[in-house]
Amino acid sequence: MSSEAGASTATRTYRPKMAAGWWTKKRHYFLYMVREFTALPLALWLLWLLYEIYRAGRGPAHFYPPSSTAFVIFSVICLAFALYHSFTFLSLAGVILHFKVLDKPVPSRLIVMSQFGLWLVASIVIGAVLIGFGR
Amino acid sequence: MAEKRITVRATRYDPTKDSAPRLQSYDIPFSDESMVVLDALNYIKAHVDGSLSYRWSCRMGICGSCGMTVNGTPKLTCAAFLRDYWPGAVTVTPLNNFPIVRDLVVDIEDFMQKLKSIKPWIIRKQEMPLGAGEHRQTTDQIDDFRQFSQCINCMLCYAACPVYGLDDKFLGPAAIALSRRYNLDSRDQGIKERLPVLASSDGIWECSFVGECSVVCPKGVDPAKAIQQTKLDTTMRFVVPFGNRE
Repeated sequence: MSSEAGASTATRTYRPKMAAGWWTKKRHYFLYMVREFTALPLALWLLWLLYEIYRAGRGPAHFYPPSSTAFVIFSVICLAFALYHSFTFLSLAGVILHFKVLDKPVPSRLIVMSQFGLWLVASIVIGAVLIGFGR
Repeated sequence: MAEKRITVRATRYDPTKDSAPRLQSYDIPFSDESMVVLDALNYIKAHVDGSLSYRWSCRMGICGSCGMTVNGTPKLTCAAFLRDYWPGAVTVTPLNNFPIVRDLVVDIEDFMQKLKSIKPWIIRKQEMPLGAGEHRQTTDQIDDFRQFSQCINCMLCYAACPVYGLDDKFLGPAAIALSRRYNLDSRDQGIKERLPVLASSDGIWECSFVGECSVVCPKGVDPAKAIQQTKLDTTMRFVVPFGNRE
């Protein structure tokens, strides 16, 4: 924390201010910032996807998806961020979701495991559909 | 055999003399493995420097007054053992994110106002006369809110919250956890009185789920959980027709 002098009405107090690098001080803060940052490359990749859909809508002549090495690397990085974002999101679902079955609270571990199970099923279904249409 | 000693660095700030806080180092005996940081501060005050100021009361993790930052982490100093830091030095600074009044004492007025704003008491639409008997609860109903009722208002969660540190208008972890404690209480009927505060722009939606508040909480309250669950509940009240509107 960096500091800055300040004064209150009754007693003179010193009001510390957070330094810009506060998130580098603790591992937990750093991982939080990484988690938040993962949304940015995902947003960029989705913007590109929207643009590709727009071009595809104008006919096959306008659709030429990029296949450069740089784009493949960018996509792999986006995939890694997407996986990390999904992992943190689904892990936290056990904290957020709370409901009872037969008047007993469902354990958060069970909620998290079911979330990951659904994620796996959804990934398989979407993968199958994409591969099926690709053929 | 040489006496075992430990170095304690404590923040000193005299508002009448100092323009900014500074650290002062004390070399004191570490005579007992059960010594906690609060014992070290009490030793300094009793034997080395009587002008050192800090808050404390119960020495057993109940009153919540001895919260300070120990080697960068908000802790109850009565529960922070010196043996966990020795032979290294222990640096004790005031709770982060609060104005410093003197030495290790911070101004808690902002928190007290926030706590009051969420009406942390049981609200009834119509009070029953005392003769009508008690409001009965089952153990399952108590279990619904028990965890959130463990808060001792020590404010470690505020000191660990970067959202509060960056914007002190944020209602904050403990106040929201305590509002959830009362909203989940089967005897309470005051959720509609608390919602305007909880759902305001400085309320639950300001939290971005850093989660450090729950890490530092000495009583296992898990304020981050309380906040996220309140977000979900308020959303369900809004989107589900006739749902949970009581």
